[in-house]
Amino acid sequence: MELMKSENIVQDRQPQPQEEEEIMQQEEEEEQRFHVLAVDDSVIDRKLLEKLLKASSYQVTCVESGEKALEYLGLLHHSSPASSSSQHHHQGHKVNLIMTDFSMPGTSGYDLLKRIKGSSWKDVPVVVMSSENVPSRISMCLEGGAEEFMLKPLQLSDLHKIQAHLLKSLPHS
Amino acid sequence: MEVGQMQRRLVDYTKSLFMEGFLDAQFLQLQQLQDESNPDFVVEVVSLFFDDSEKLLNDLTMALDQPSVDFKKVDAHVHQLKGSSSSIGAQRVKNACIAFRSFCEEQNIDATLRCLQQVKQEYYLVKNKLETMLRLEQQIVAAGGSIPMIELGF
Repeated sequence: MELMKSENIVQDRQPQPQEEEEIMQQEEEEEQRFHVLAVDDSVIDRKLLEKLLKASSYQVTCVESGEKALEYLGLLHHSSPASSSSQHHHQGHKVNLIMTDFSMPGTSGYDLLKRIKGSSWKDVPVVVMSSENVPSRISMCLEGGAEEFMLKPLQLSDLHKIQAHLLKSLPHS
Repeated sequence: MEVGQMQRRLVDYTKSLFMEGFLDAQFLQLQQLQDESNPDFVVEVVSLFFDDSEKLLNDLTMALDQPSVDFKKVDAHVHQLKGSSSSIGAQRVKNACIAFRSFCEEQNIDATLRCLQQVKQEYYLVKNKLETMLRLEQQIVAAGGSIPMIELGF
């Protein structure tokens, strides 16, 4: 690829009709796959979770904090997703499952869970993950509306639980 | 050294790491997640672990060096290190962190300083072992061989 000699910011050129069709096809395929929003402040755990989920052909978006998750969902300023006009093109995409770590600085996994369950995203299943097996924590999350509480580190064998929640989340007419 | 010999050396070395408790089953999960679409996955995760851990160990050293130690902060760092070592299967580092946290709770400065030394020691040991193992893998691949999957009896 030739180096850009121009000082100007290079604008994306308009896609040609054939490319547009390919892009649309790609987007359609993406729409058919389950999309998981993964929230964890640990870069290692994000990488692991992403790989684990992609191994099942899920589409994955990883964010590093509860705040970033709220921003992604359009909940940061108490506005509903429909009304928040964000530049992010992915705002239009569905989210089939949210997986969040429990212990995060700032907005914790539990805080995130409560915000989600009190919003228009409340029907999206939320799985809370933690490295600590604390019964009171588990019941608090389940009572808060979490579909499941999973112990970290997650294993390949845990994927079937995730799949079960995703299948339950399929829209019914 | 021919490829078959190198592969046997790698298998023996890797097995010893499990036997001696440096690595646990979680590391096998990492290896199982690696595939043709992401052949450097284990190397990438391990590198992230090294970078993350070294930063945490520095933070811990500084935090414990303060005239008035903030044990909550120390505990938060140890919790993070425990999590990441657990995620990659660095068992001895994880166990050292568990002990560390109990002394943080007691706010015992002498014990926590000893724990820090212990965690550092375990970290550098496993770092060395992993680097050796990954180097052996690299040599095999460079010689045109494939990485043998480890079968563990337990």
